[in-house]
Order: sequence, then structure tokens, then C-alpha cells
Amino acid sequence: MELIGLFPTWYEPAVGSGWVVGFIATFHILASHTSVGAALLFAYLSYRAWKDDRDDYLDFVKKYGLFLLVFTYVAGSLTGVGIWYSTTVASPNGIGALIHSFVWKWATEWVFFVIEVIGIYMIVYLVGKVDKKTHMKISVIFGIASFATMVIIVGILSFMMVPGKEAWFEDGGYLLGFYGDNTFIQLAMRAMFMLTMTAVVGGIIVAGIKDQAFKKEMTRKLGWLGIIATLLGAAMFQLYLNSVPDYALLVMENRLPDYFGPSIAIVLALTIGYFVLTMVQPKFLVSGFAGTMAIVILVAGLWPEETARESMRKPWVAGQYVYSNQVIGRDVPGMDIQSQLPLIEKVGILKAHPFTPEHLQTVNDGNKIQAGEFITMTYCANCHSVSDSGIRPLHRYFPDQVTQEVMARYIRGALVPGNIAYMPKMPMLESEVQAIAAYLTKINNDGLAATNLAISEEIANREAKQLADKAGLVVSMKSSAEEMQ
Amino acid sequence: MEVAQLTDMMYALRNPAGVPFYPIVFIALGVLTFAMHIFFVQLMLGTGAITAYGAFSNNPYWQRLASAMLEIAKVSVSVAIVIGVAPLLFVQVVYDPQWYTANVLSARWVIGFIVIMIMAYWLMYYYYFRNGKFGQGADKPKARWSIIASLLVFLVAGWIMHSLTSQMLHPELWQQWYVPNGAMDTTGSQLHANNPWRFAFFILTAIPVAGAMLVAYRRFKSVRDDADHAYLDWAAELGKKWLKVGSLLVLIPYLGWMLTLPETAENFAGSIWSILPALGFIGLAVWSHLRLNDAKSICNYMVLAMAFIAVLLPSIGREVLRYDILNGFFGYNFFDYKVMIDWYSTLLFFGTFAVVGGAVLGYFLTIAWKVGQSKGVYVPSPAVDRAGTIAIWVISLWMVHFFVLGFWVWVQ
Repeated sequence: MELIGLFPTWYEPAVGSGWVVGFIATFHILASHTSVGAALLFAYLSYRAWKDDRDDYLDFVKKYGLFLLVFTYVAGSLTGVGIWYSTTVASPNGIGALIHSFVWKWATEWVFFVIEVIGIYMIVYLVGKVDKKTHMKISVIFGIASFATMVIIVGILSFMMVPGKEAWFEDGGYLLGFYGDNTFIQLAMRAMFMLTMTAVVGGIIVAGIKDQAFKKEMTRKLGWLGIIATLLGAAMFQLYLNSVPDYALLVMENRLPDYFGPSIAIVLALTIGYFVLTMVQPKFLVSGFAGTMAIVILVAGLWPEETARESMRKPWVAGQYVYSNQVIGRDVPGMDIQSQLPLIEKVGILKAHPFTPEHLQTVNDGNKIQAGEFITMTYCANCHSVSDSGIRPLHRYFPDQVTQEVMARYIRGALVPGNIAYMPKMPMLESEVQAIAAYLTKINNDGLAATNLAISEEIANREAKQLADKAGLVVSMKSSAEEMQ
Repeated sequence: MEVAQLTDMMYALRNPAGVPFYPIVFIALGVLTFAMHIFFVQLMLGTGAITAYGAFSNNPYWQRLASAMLEIAKVSVSVAIVIGVAPLLFVQVVYDPQWYTANVLSARWVIGFIVIMIMAYWLMYYYYFRNGKFGQGADKPKARWSIIASLLVFLVAGWIMHSLTSQMLHPELWQQWYVPNGAMDTTGSQLHANNPWRFAFFILTAIPVAGAMLVAYRRFKSVRDDADHAYLDWAAELGKKWLKVGSLLVLIPYLGWMLTLPETAENFAGSIWSILPALGFIGLAVWSHLRLNDAKSICNYMVLAMAFIAVLLPSIGREVLRYDILNGFFGYNFFDYKVMIDWYSTLLFFGTFAVVGGAVLGYFLTIAWKVGQSKGVYVPSPAVDRAGTIAIWVISLWMVHFFVLGFWVWVQ
């Protein structure tokens, strides 16, 4: 069998499939981290409510819990599923690699999800209906269960960057893939971030507290939580950067926009400034201010940070063996996984791809542009757009009116052997190099509309030829029949 | 493409990492969790429909029931979503070639599903907050459109999932969908396959499931001192009617589904696996007729289990049908998926499920049950309180194990 496991490609021209995953993931991280941090805060407040016999703490927990139930639990749980769905359509082999190594871990996380979902309803709706001690117990369980969902997913996310231990490549197994430097440091970083978010979003609820003394107390509590978590989180981010492979830092330096560093620094300063201001002057804490702050962190802090994490692992998308274009580019003896590159080098990408239609299996003058399109969609479309919009448009990388010969030379010299640090190796037969070069040159010089027109012409010509062949066959059969008569 | 080529294609699409335990276990868990998921989906749809009907009714009983069922609908959505994660996980383990292909070919709908679900859920909450917990009693409810819209949008989401699972079963058409008329279509903008009978069957099953809930609702609420027995009896009678009529009604779309199976399903329609679900619903109707005459009987709770069994049978049938088509016709056998046994993570899941899940959910559900049947502040008995302490210990030990084992592996 000379096929490899490549699925059809979903190409999203407006923003790019990667960014669709990014939007959903960033929103999910905001919602889920806030929920987990809030769960720990609820456990603490519910404990204090029991110990100090304070009804106002439980009232705060109820209001914050209801807010989370409607916003972060609805949107958070659905965008969590949404990450699966979006990665399924954008990177099926990437998510497949994670699923097949960590299915039981995800299933374990699911047990905690169920506890979490039932727990949040109980925490919100049982305030005043059970005694404080029982509420405290429910809250403590809920807090630990929520944190368990985080510790599990962080191990899986760490694997995406790099398997826990180098020995995993030789020996395989869940434990070696899951636990490593990156796992624990990333966990510490995310734990701090989740507490920062809890303090910021909690401000929306604190803003509505009528009792000024209680408002001041809660503002102070959340303020200290926020400041300490933000400072520790910043330190953890630096530690995290030291824990990733050197090449990842190199990729980050090359790939990330200049505004990345200043953006993170400004958000840190703004966040601490926000907490200090609201602690000194609780009257400034209004829900709009807290809500705006949450959005600032989302857009200017979380988005660049997640983009950095995504970019750093290129050219790989999972476990340093699945390329971003879904091809397996490395042997993993511990899992009995073989690189797919030798087979592609032997038969070409068109023959190796299970979804290549019959008429594109071999490149010829009548299908060159369309074969080039198929190869581009397979090898490039995950990270590059072929139109003016979308993710890293290809035309930006080539000079105007580039010749097909120059394009072919570039593909042959840089892409096929994998000479660009953050791009996969992309084996192609010489005929395939010519096809993709023809397509990319056409796109670059004449635009997408003209290229699509050229593809339509290829299809029309092929169909006409098929019709002519069929007609010829009929004529020849007819004359043979007449001759026989 | 020839069948042999399609078989090769599907085997090539398998993930080379293999699976960490025997494939049949993932299938079994997938079936069980799918049945639980669809049961809560049906419960949400049924109770949501009662809420919507009650919103437009002048009958005070209907209005009251609508308000109570909205609470159940709201929680059922959450539970349906969280339980739905499990079958979504397990289908990717052994049927990844089919599931991923079906998804990528309709990618826009897959992404749209998330937005649609959030909209539907928020619409339900919008209705809830506009009317308050008991808002349906006094005046006409506000924003009645929102509960109707919520249900309709949920149905759209259901249709998307229905189409994706249908597309999985048509490997012979995948390439045609990807390269229609010779030109690539990478937009994922089409839903390609469906069977309205199948969809109608799973949706209409909401009627008997909601009926079972109404019967159990009467039993649960009737123990309270402040119970309004006339209202509760009315609700239970309605539930019985829905159980009996609904169980027989769903046989129509079920029959339609069986009669319109693709040719690749060969002889499934006449097999025991196709007959059992029909017998299950007939059995549910008969059992409801015979066993629900005593308002205090335990059968008033058992009816939920009976309804679940009726839902479980077509869930099993659905899985056998998938196997029949993909293995029987196309030669893809999930049993021979590469197995890379990983004992630790396997035991971790089952241990967490049984011990942590059992201890915590046992405690949670006991508290919720007792609160529902109590007036005023509920103070648990020493035994229940101890169950809470045990649950805290169990979940804390899980966390300690996670870090101790992790550090041990880390420092190796």
C-alpha cells in the first residue's frame, strides 16, 4: 500500500484555518482559566464563610458563580469542545496524535468535567439551602476537580510542543510523553495566569456590591491575589521560555512581530496598575472597567502569548513528529511510527495522498495548474493563504513577475529538502515541482481569479477530450460493427 | 473507486500511534456514553418543548410545569454537553479515518456548530433571566420567542451532527465531495449526507423521555409537605400519555430509517439489532401502561431507567449498523487497530472513573437529592457528612498521586 494518512484540506481564505483555531482556543483559555481560578477562590471563600460564619462571602460566591455559569461555563465548555472540532478540521493528524497517545488522560479529565459541571450548579443553587460546612465541602471538591482539569490538559499541551522526556521517542508510553520540564513550568505559568484572570473578572462582581466595607475588603483580596499572581506569572513565563528547545526560541524570534515583547510588558504594567488603583480607590472599580480590563488582557496579553506558543513549535504541530502540514516527518520507534517522507520521495505526494483524484495522480500538460493547486493545498494551506487575505499570503514571499523557472529552483532548493528552519521538508517528484511552480507563479503573477480560470480551462479541456474519446470509441465501434456486417 | 481501494484508503488514514487499549473497550464506552448523551439531549428537547408550550398556555398547571421543566432543560443542556465530550473522544480513537474525513469535508459547519450551540444555550438563559425562576405564574412570560428560537437553533446543531455521522458511512462518496466535477472544493461549505427519518427518530424520542421525567417529577416532589398533589398528578398523567403515545410514535420514523438504509448496509434492517430497538420502545409503552398506576411505587423512578434502556438499544443498533457498513461492505475492521497497550493510563481512567467519580458524584447527588426533598436549610446526617470528607480525601489523593508520580518521572 503506497498511501499515507493525509486527509482532505480545509482551506479558509479569509483568516486561515490556523487563526480560526487560535480565536476559539484563546477565548476558551480566557473562560476556562477564569473558571479554574474562580473555583479555587470559591473553595477559599466558602471555607472562610464556614469558619467565620460570613453570609456575605457565600453571597459573593453565588453571584460570581452564576456569572461564570452563564458566560464561562456555557462558552467555556463549548469552546473547549470547539478546540477539538476546529483542530479536527484544521489539523486532523495533529489532534489525532494527541488523541491516540492521551485518550485515557482525556477520558480522566472528562470525569473531572462531569464533577465540575454538577459542582457549579450545586455551588450556585445550594447557597442558603445547605449548611455552611456542607457548602464548604462541595466547594473544596469543586476547586480540586477544576484544578485537576487544568493539570491534565497542560501535560497534553506540553506534549504538543515537545514530548516530556526525550526517551519517549525510543521507549514510547504515556508517562514519558506527558511529564517533563515543560509540563510543570507551563502548569505554574498557567496557574498564575488563571488567578490573575479570576481577580480581574471577579472585579465585575465586586463592582456590584452595595456594602462599601465589604466591597473594599473584596477589592483588596482580589487586588493582592491579582498582583502576586501577575508578578509570579511573568517570572514563570521567563522560566517557560528557558524550558523550551533552543530552536523554538529561534523560531519565535524570527516569526513573532516586533510588538510582541512590548505588548506583553504593557499588559503586565496595566494589569498591576489596575489592581493598585482599585485597591487604593475601590470606587473606581465599576463593572465596565473590570470588563474592559478582561478584554485588554485577552487581546493584548493572551492572544500574543498563545500565538507565541503556537509559532514556537513549528515546523511541528504535535510531539515533534507530525509536521504542520500533517505529514509524519520523523521515526518514533517507541510508538512504532515511521516517517512518511521516504514513501513520498519514492512515489510523490500526489500518488501518496489518499484523496488525489485519478486525473491528478500523474502530472501532465493538461492538469499542471490543478495538480499544483492540489499540492499547494496539501503542503502549504495550513500555514499560508493563496489569496490576498488570510494567513501569511504566499504572494508576499515572491517578487512580482517571478518566472516559473526561478520558482521551481526555489522549491527544489529550499522546500523539498527542508532548508527553511521553521518549515517542513516537502518531498516532491520533479513533475510535481513543475506543477506547484506553475500554480504558484500563476497565483503570484496573475492573481487568484486568473488561476481559477486556468484551472476551469484545464477541467473543460479534459472533459472535452473525454467526450471526444468516447465519441471516437462509439464511431470506431460503429464502423467495426458495420464492417462485420 | 473500487471497494478495495476504499479499504486501503481508510487503513492508510488510521493514526500510526495506535490505541492504548483493546479497541472494543473504546467502542463499548462510546456506545454507553453516546446513549447517555443523547438521553440528556432528548430530555433537554422534551422539557424545553414543555417550557415553550407552557409559555403560550393560559392553563396555570402548564405554566407551572413550564417553569419547573425549564430548570431541568437548562441543566440537561450542560450535562448533555459534558457527557457528549466522551463519545466525541472515543469515536476519534477507532473511527478516526471516517470521523476526520466527514468533519473536514464540512468544516464550516463544524465550526458553525460551536457558535450555534452557544447561541442556542444563551437564548435559553435569556428566556430564563427575563422571566425569573417562577416568572411564569403571574403574568405572561416575556421574550417567549427566545425559548422557541433556542429549541430551533438546537435542532440545527443536531442536524449538523446528524449529517457528520451520516457522512462517515459513505467512503465511496468522499472523493466526489472533495473534488466535485473534477475541481477541488476545500471550503467545507456543504453538508453532504443525511437521513431525515433517522434524525426524526432521535428527536421524537424526546417525547417518551420527557414523559418519563414527568412521572419521576411527581414522585420526587410528592414527598414534600407542601406538595400540590392535584398539580403533580396532572403532570404525571401527562407524562404517562407522552410515554405511551411517544414510544409508539417513534416507531414510525424508526421504520422509515430502516427502510431507507443505504445499500451498503446490506441485511441490517432485518437483523436482530434493528428489531431490538423497536421492541424496546414497544416494551416501554407496555411497561408504562402496566406499572405506573401506583403513584408511590418505585416504578415511578424506575421509568427513567426504562426510558434509558429504550434509548440504549438504538444506540447499540447504530453502532452495529456502522460496523456492518464499514466492515461488512467496505472491509474496515476496527478490531484490528494497532494496539500499544498502556496499562498506567488505562488503569488511571478506570480508577478515577470508579473511585473519584463514584465517591464525589455519590456525595454530590445525595446532597442534591436531599435538598430537593427538604424545606429550609438542609443539614446532612453524620453518614452523609462523612461521605463528603471521604470524597475530599479521595480527590486530594488523586492530586497528590499526579504530582508525586510526575516529579518521579521528571527527575529520572
